[in-house]
Amino acid sequence: MSTAARTGSESVATKSGSSSILSVRDVRKTYKLGRVKVPVLHGVDLDVQRSEWVTILGASGSGKSTLLHLMGGLDRPDKQGGQRGAIVFEGNDLARQGKRTLDRYRADDIGFVFQFYHLLPELSVLQNVCVGSMILHGRVGYMSKRTATQQRATELLERFGLGHRLRHRPAELSGGERQRVAIARALINEPKVLLADEPTGNLDMKTGASILDAMIEYRENAGLTMVMVTHDERIAARADRVIRLVDGRVVEAPSGDSQPVS
Amino acid sequence: MYQALLTRKYLTRKIMPMLAMVAVMLSVATILVTWSVMGGFLATLIQSGRTLVGDVAIVWPNVGFGYYDELIEDLEADPMIEAATPTIETFGMIRLPDDRIELISIKGVDPESYSSVTGFTDTLWWKPIDEPTPKDREREDLRLQADDLKAEGGIDLEQVHQNGLTMSRLNPSSGEVEPAGVLGIEVTGLNERTAWGGYYPWGANRALPDGGIAYDHVFMPESGSVVLTVLSLDSDGRPVDPKSITMPIANEFQSGLYEVDQGTIMIPLEVLQRNLRMDEARKVRFEKDANDPFATVYDPATGTVKPKMKEVVGIDPARVTTVLVKKAEGVELEEMRERVREIYAEFASRHEGQVPISANMSRQIKTWEDLNRTMISAVKKETGLVLFIFGIVSFTTVFLVLAIFWSMASEKTKDIGILRALGASTTGIAWLWIRYGAVIGIVGSAIGTVLGYWIVSNINAIHDWIGETFKLVIWDPRQYYFIEIPSDVDPQKAIIVFVVGVLTCVLGALLPAWHSARMDPVKALRFE
Repeated sequence: MSTAARTGSESVATKSGSSSILSVRDVRKTYKLGRVKVPVLHGVDLDVQRSEWVTILGASGSGKSTLLHLMGGLDRPDKQGGQRGAIVFEGNDLARQGKRTLDRYRADDIGFVFQFYHLLPELSVLQNVCVGSMILHGRVGYMSKRTATQQRATELLERFGLGHRLRHRPAELSGGERQRVAIARALINEPKVLLADEPTGNLDMKTGASILDAMIEYRENAGLTMVMVTHDERIAARADRVIRLVDGRVVEAPSGDSQPVS
Repeated sequence: MYQALLTRKYLTRKIMPMLAMVAVMLSVATILVTWSVMGGFLATLIQSGRTLVGDVAIVWPNVGFGYYDELIEDLEADPMIEAATPTIETFGMIRLPDDRIELISIKGVDPESYSSVTGFTDTLWWKPIDEPTPKDREREDLRLQADDLKAEGGIDLEQVHQNGLTMSRLNPSSGEVEPAGVLGIEVTGLNERTAWGGYYPWGANRALPDGGIAYDHVFMPESGSVVLTVLSLDSDGRPVDPKSITMPIANEFQSGLYEVDQGTIMIPLEVLQRNLRMDEARKVRFEKDANDPFATVYDPATGTVKPKMKEVVGIDPARVTTVLVKKAEGVELEEMRERVREIYAEFASRHEGQVPISANMSRQIKTWEDLNRTMISAVKKETGLVLFIFGIVSFTTVFLVLAIFWSMASEKTKDIGILRALGASTTGIAWLWIRYGAVIGIVGSAIGTVLGYWIVSNINAIHDWIGETFKLVIWDPRQYYFIEIPSDVDPQKAIIVFVVGVLTCVLGALLPAWHSARMDPVKALRFE
């Protein structure tokens, strides 16, 4: 983790560096709960540099997960005065892309890791990891890459210590093991950006720490860009850069030291 | 690819798709069984209706038409036609051995040529047989015991059979062979229909004026006779006077069509021709003398003078009301009807003024389908109605599949969110459920088709087993006219039922598929 990358003054949005892989500009989002409108994001700006690990901190309901879903193309920002905010990935504004492009983006460029693992219960560990490749390549494409994909999935699972669990079902695994499967699934298509929504939030401290170590190790080796949502400031402290969401807006994080942001 | 994997997993790890599959299977089997049995019923009826009418009939009712032998020669000379036969069809009264009087359809036929055009020979009931009918497990059929009957009862079934074929019977008192009729087996009511679908002849119970009953032992082909009363017609078709004919019975026939078998008698053509005054006859008419048109003559009976008329004597040819034609092998029915029309047109042009003109007769040249149209149409409509009702019942399968899929799609909401997060498209998600429906449809329909096929093929054995086990007889040959339930499955029908079964499931899966595809992935991921 570089000191420069962890400098808060360098990191906060609106400073769109030339190496930004993902930029968020004036993104707003309001949810409707019946007749009540609940504004979640009030014009978020953010740049994520290539190979950077950005952690988004914020209280519950501050819009962290919503921002992550928007960055992952699972949702679209609202229009404000006829203008829609922008989420730019490698020069392409996701907010203006069609459904097919967004599907492709999620399959190819993005890897999602969720707090509650979200594994498919009927599939084995190996099949859960391979399903992302099946979606990306389609039937014909997957058949031609099947052996290579299964080999990569096995390698990933072995790397995360699950080599002996390939044929097991998620229900037969512990929480930590399930989350490792979910991470392996997110990485199967070698995404450019990993979006993790409180990946250790449902695990005990020791297991959470081991999961985090595995992710960090992989990221450093692969040069993966990572955006992680968490409310755990000790995890945030290990990131290259920390963003705090308060009332749906990005607030500049403290800079210049390596202590956890308070 | 992921759809195939998930379809397989969802199918094998959930009870609900199994239930949907069973529902589809049962619906498909039910429809196939119903359609096959009703279709078989219709086919058997049609075949029975065809048995005694040949392929095409040239019909000129009441007065009939002459020179038919010449027409038959013309017809039989054509390569499209195998044989033709003259018949007369009329109505009359019949007095039965128990003195009941009924209305009856009387057919005058030439047994030899009639047999060559129709299935008449096969319809003769009383004849020795070697193999019992399908339900006659105890071999109770009298026809199986021809030798015993001859030895013990003096009834020679072989002779009875021959009598039927020749429409004649020996009169024991005169020692002469007389013309005899062949009676529909249900006409007299003296043949009791057995549980195994055959007949047992009973004697006749006659009601007496004093309130008593007289029992006469009578086996119609042996000693029975009936009295027919017909109305003879003049050459203009007007009734002249009633004639009664005492007609010994040579044999009885069963065509398979109850309406025919309970109201028809066949007698030799020449007997009916003679009694209807349709045989060849001297024809006398009076006309003015062309050489002396104003000549008069005194009539002593009336004491008046009237124009002098000259007596002209001619020959009125024998007439028949119908000529039945049998087509040669491989000839299409409609094609043959057209050919018969052409042949008749040539014949009519040779006999202008003596036979009905071709234009009028054209509509009277009918195929066996035309002749049985009312009956065929009624059974077809009945089949259609039953299928429609079962179709509606089976259509509930669509809603059953819909309900099951909707429930499953709801249960799998989170899976849908996960798949969308991994990049699955809306069409990919929709395809997952449609494919799932199709697989349930294919598997359920395939098993249902095989099951239906098996049930229909073994329907009589199953029926017998139900009857023996639960004492429940659904198809009783005493009430229904066929001995067995029709058991042929038309492969075309099986394919149609299978395809409709699959489409039904796909239809039921469409709405859940659409619902899943439109699901907001973020909401789906948050679904608990």
